[in-house]
Amino acid sequence: MDTLHYLLQGFAVALEPTNLMFALMGAFLGTLIGALPGLGPANGVAILIPLAFSLGLPPETALIMLTSVYAGAMYGGRISSILLNIPGDEPAMMTCLDGYPMAQKGKAAEALAISAIASCLGSFIATIGLILLAPVLAKVALSFGPAEYFALFVLAFATLGGITGKNPVKTLMAASIGLMIATVGIDLSTGVQRYTFNVLELYEGIDFIIAIVGLFAISELLVFIEHRAGKGHEIIHMNPLKLSWADIRNILPTTFRGGIIGFISGVLPGAGASLGSFISYTLEKKVVGDKGAFGTGDPRGVAAPEAGNNGAANGALVPMLTLGVPGSGTTAVLLAMLISLNITPGPMMFTQHADVVWGVIAALLIGNVLLLLLNIPLVGIFVRLLSVPPYFLLPIVTMVAFVGIYSISHSLFDLYFMIAFGVIGYVLRKLDIPLVPVILGLLLGPEMEKNLRHAMTISDGDWSILWSSGLSIGLWAVAALGLILPMVVGPILRRRMKKNEA
Amino acid sequence: MSDRIFGLLMLALAVAYGWGAQQFPVPFGEAEAVGPETFPILLSVLLGFCSLYMMLRPDPDNGWPVGRTLTEMVVVLIVLLAYTAILEELGFVISTTLAVGILCWRMGARLKSAFLVAFLGGVVVYLLFNFVLELPLPAGLLEVV
Repeated sequence: MDTLHYLLQGFAVALEPTNLMFALMGAFLGTLIGALPGLGPANGVAILIPLAFSLGLPPETALIMLTSVYAGAMYGGRISSILLNIPGDEPAMMTCLDGYPMAQKGKAAEALAISAIASCLGSFIATIGLILLAPVLAKVALSFGPAEYFALFVLAFATLGGITGKNPVKTLMAASIGLMIATVGIDLSTGVQRYTFNVLELYEGIDFIIAIVGLFAISELLVFIEHRAGKGHEIIHMNPLKLSWADIRNILPTTFRGGIIGFISGVLPGAGASLGSFISYTLEKKVVGDKGAFGTGDPRGVAAPEAGNNGAANGALVPMLTLGVPGSGTTAVLLAMLISLNITPGPMMFTQHADVVWGVIAALLIGNVLLLLLNIPLVGIFVRLLSVPPYFLLPIVTMVAFVGIYSISHSLFDLYFMIAFGVIGYVLRKLDIPLVPVILGLLLGPEMEKNLRHAMTISDGDWSILWSSGLSIGLWAVAALGLILPMVVGPILRRRMKKNEA
Repeated sequence: MSDRIFGLLMLALAVAYGWGAQQFPVPFGEAEAVGPETFPILLSVLLGFCSLYMMLRPDPDNGWPVGRTLTEMVVVLIVLLAYTAILEELGFVISTTLAVGILCWRMGARLKSAFLVAFLGGVVVYLLFNFVLELPLPAGLLEVV
């Protein structure tokens, strides 16, 4: 009953005219970001954070806008999968399998409409899951002590590479680099200067927003130049939409299963949206069996992965909101937004900032309806965007990144810093070292050290407190599994995903 | 090979970072169980182990840009640095036209359309920021106009 009460309160927040306007704007921008080639969701949310920050939006409005961007980007990613056979982002890969054949048969409009409906229902199901699960998990998380939190942070890093990740050691390396950058500045609890080299600008530490924008946006520009991505695609002409109720009813069971599977894999550490859409697609293929025409343009093959990846995207918000531990790149960027708004994520957020949390959850529900409305009639606009050549797009995105960072502090020093992070990001990407753990390290570093301190103060310097409760032992065990499993199961799963692609 | 070199660099960083942590002054009052140096030392050990592993079991190389591609990338970096340097002096619109124009052109757009897009983009963003969002961007040389 409590939940329902809070949810209604959330709707009151989300339905305020300004918030509704920002949700609509976010949904539109998000779809745009998802649809544009070479601008992934994490990247897109990252360049918008400085703007949301320097505009001085209230926390719930800023977060509502960015979650709408996040949801929208998931919608946008499917457009280029279906029309060009190029996934807009990684989770949209499975949508190519049946979406592109459908488009080739002259059913592009139907494929886009079906995927929009599946996306909407998938994230609707997952949002309901979020509403049911999050308060429970938040209550459990209240019993966490500092030692458990420390173990939880370790778990987050260990599972971040995901089961399909290539090299867990590189994930750990990235995490330690991020954590190290986070220690720069004056140590808050002792006042000791660490690694500041007496540079005044470093006393307050390195602003993670600058690091995020540099690592994502500027390194993207460098990667594009290296690969000479060249011209835009030709404008694609769409067929008029012919969709009957029977078509929609046909995909409903598929969508339902996909949404649930997606949600579960979004919540679980180390699974994520790519695995969510992969599992829902393969399961659907098994369930339907020989009756389906999977791989040759079956509408259910479009619906399953779309429901799966949107479900996973919302599922990934569960650990982020309740524990303060994001499971994916984009949720990590959303966490950055929360921290820069001075909201400490975690179980206390549900009591201290109930309006923010429930406002965002309600905004997710509303945002989805908005997205569906936006995506069916306006899909033509987004389709036309695919023909924007990257040589105009990326310089403009770079300019937006510059403007955003500049508007936070009007400091040229910050801009030089951002360029430096761009170069670092490029080098790390070339070495296959993932960037998300670096960012997570930057974000979680201070909290992690604080919890270590508290735990050690409680135990009076006895390190064994870190693994003395059943809960913390469990967390350490999952963390260890998160590092070992990719080495054992990873190659098998990766091979299967490859085989499906071919 | 590049994994080995990067591993070596990171090992050096880990050692330097760990050594740096030993040099922190002892904070005021009595020493606590976890001082300002404890967490950094843990991190330097972790990074040290990761970089050793990376040196011993390197992944295959991705290939680094050479020749023209490398030159192009250096040019782009110089453009970005110059953009920052002239932003406040020349003002947002002029420096954006120059920087974004060169970037578009180097990435393959035709010279004329590159600078046209850059100029329009700069003007639109300038107007949007100064008058709609009320986040002033530097006017620079255009201030007198």
